[in-house]
Amino acid sequence: MTAAANLLTFLGLVVTLLLVWRQSLPGRLRLFVAHSVLLALLAATIGWLAGRPGLVGVGAVFLLVKAWAIPRVLWRIAAGAPVRLVAPGKSAGLALLAAGALVVAAYAIMLPVRAATELPTEGAIPLAFAMALIGLFLCVTGRDAFGHILGFLVLENGIFGFAILATYGLPGIVEAGVFLDVLVIVLIMEAVVVRVRQEHDSIEEERLRELRG
Amino acid sequence: MILPVLLALPLAGAALAFRAAGRPAAAINGAAAAGTLAAALLLAVAVSRAGAVTAFGGLLRADALSAWMVALVGLVGAFAAWEAPRYAERAAPGRLYGLVQLFVFTMLLAVTTDDVGLMWVAVEGTTLASVFLVNFERTRASLEASYKYLLICSVGIAVAFLGTVLVYFADVNQFGQSAHALRWTTLLRLAPHLPPRVVELAFVFLVVGYGTKAGLAPMHTWLPDAHSEAPAPVSALMSGVLLGVGVYAVLRFKPVVDAAAGPEFAGRILTGLGLLSMALAAAFLWTSVNYKRLLAYSSVEHIGIVCLGLGFGGAWGTAGALLHIANHALAKSALFLLAGRIRAAYGSAEIGAVRGLLGSLPGPGGAFLAAMLALMGLPPFGLFVSEVMIFGAGFRAGRWLAAMLGLAILVAAFAGLLRATNAMVYGAADTRPFGAAERRVPASALAALGLLVLTGLAWPPGLAAALARAAAIVAP
Repeated sequence: MTAAANLLTFLGLVVTLLLVWRQSLPGRLRLFVAHSVLLALLAATIGWLAGRPGLVGVGAVFLLVKAWAIPRVLWRIAAGAPVRLVAPGKSAGLALLAAGALVVAAYAIMLPVRAATELPTEGAIPLAFAMALIGLFLCVTGRDAFGHILGFLVLENGIFGFAILATYGLPGIVEAGVFLDVLVIVLIMEAVVVRVRQEHDSIEEERLRELRG
Repeated sequence: MILPVLLALPLAGAALAFRAAGRPAAAINGAAAAGTLAAALLLAVAVSRAGAVTAFGGLLRADALSAWMVALVGLVGAFAAWEAPRYAERAAPGRLYGLVQLFVFTMLLAVTTDDVGLMWVAVEGTTLASVFLVNFERTRASLEASYKYLLICSVGIAVAFLGTVLVYFADVNQFGQSAHALRWTTLLRLAPHLPPRVVELAFVFLVVGYGTKAGLAPMHTWLPDAHSEAPAPVSALMSGVLLGVGVYAVLRFKPVVDAAAGPEFAGRILTGLGLLSMALAAAFLWTSVNYKRLLAYSSVEHIGIVCLGLGFGGAWGTAGALLHIANHALAKSALFLLAGRIRAAYGSAEIGAVRGLLGSLPGPGGAFLAAMLALMGLPPFGLFVSEVMIFGAGFRAGRWLAAMLGLAILVAAFAGLLRATNAMVYGAADTRPFGAAERRVPASALAALGLLVLTGLAWPPGLAAALARAAAIVAP
């Protein structure tokens, strides 16, 4: 179990770092789908190896929501936005450096958690937490609505991975609430973005800065 | 029995109002709000007589702290519903009433559930229910405000979820999986045996996460936009009780952290964030040119005072903080409702556009002045009493530096508010002819002011006991 959890979480972190590096919208969207698939696999694998059938079901729902339903909405959001014609990696050096620092920070912050547990999945916990931190970073530094939403979703994925690794799944009512919340948030965001676009002809953040002081 | 009824009333009201239109919708809105208020007060009485009330196998549980918040949500919800018809005429009334009732339902659920996971879902629900209310007037600025609100609060609430997961981790790691592992009563019972470092880490995430909803600096950036762009009754609900619900979520975890990691840790964080919020808000109180934004920044300041009280802790500090939540809810809902009327009369929310309010609109102007003086913490209004309790607790606990710093910021904020009030209320009267409707004072604002005088001068019977019981839950 340790090897499987470590491998899947590590791959998830690699995909997260690629997300920081990639600039094109369709490319980032494909990476997000890959990220979600990896985390669904993580949930299913841990559920299978630890003998928790419920967790396999959670993985299936996660796959449905995060790798199918939400990417469809994200496609619709991305379809209307101007695609940035920036060569990959050109301006991502600093961002990647920051992401690397966040991975180190994640290890430092998770020290008390690792000290408190002897779970076989213990080693992967900081990796999942690093995903969450990088998601937060993506969300804060996102230059358009798509970037914000993608960052938020990576943050959610990281927290999901963290919850799976640290607790083998939360009680059903909470799990269901989380999935529903994320779906509704993305749908509302789409509605808002569509309306903003109608009025501003763009969803770039610089234009969302009129409310100040 | 009373607990399911309390939650069913606004939910049913929402379901009916969404389908209705015109006068029936207004009637449903009024009936649901009145019913909710009655159920909330009945619940408060039941809790004060017989202790905690539970339902659905303990999933719903209302103790003295819940009852305090439930009564507050019911009261401000009734004020908002009273005023809502003025704003519903312009656009789809069913949508406004329905969303307001849904908003009230999510807040009530957040404060009456024993499961901290379900509480998280409900707090997230408050954002989802209110995001379209912020954008109700469909202006450009309100659209931007609702986007900012949804994004920042969703991220904040995700961080709070991380904290909840950590609490669950600490719990099941020590005691194994159980269906009740996320129940607050379970957490409190097991708290002394939880790993202290993990619980401390969880509390940091919880404070940042729920603090975002509560409007604590530096996570408050969504608040001035959302509160100033929403229609007045929604601003009253958001500023009056939604911030309090955010604080409540942090409050539930405080005794757990205190038992697991010692009383110093949570207190220090809350004191620091409280002072930061007060200082930041005081600076903006001096520079705001829009009076709805001024009121919004004042909310950040008052939530800072509440956190300062919780940070000082003890029976007095905690009771003062809880009373301050209530007093602020009353004063701020009155002010937002009045500000909505003033904005409708003058057609602008700029401080510079309103002159000589006392001369041109003596009724609303006088009430606005009184509520502003209450907000500044002057007697005979309740905020004076709760601020004295909070700072008294600080000095008594020997936290001289924090208390002195807080008092200094309070003076700065006082001056900032006074400057704006002075500019709006005095001066030559506006020559515009105002109609009789514009001269009328909203009854809900008068009711709120009346209650503020009560909490300032003569506590109604039972209030002191209810407050002491609620405070004893947070600071045993």
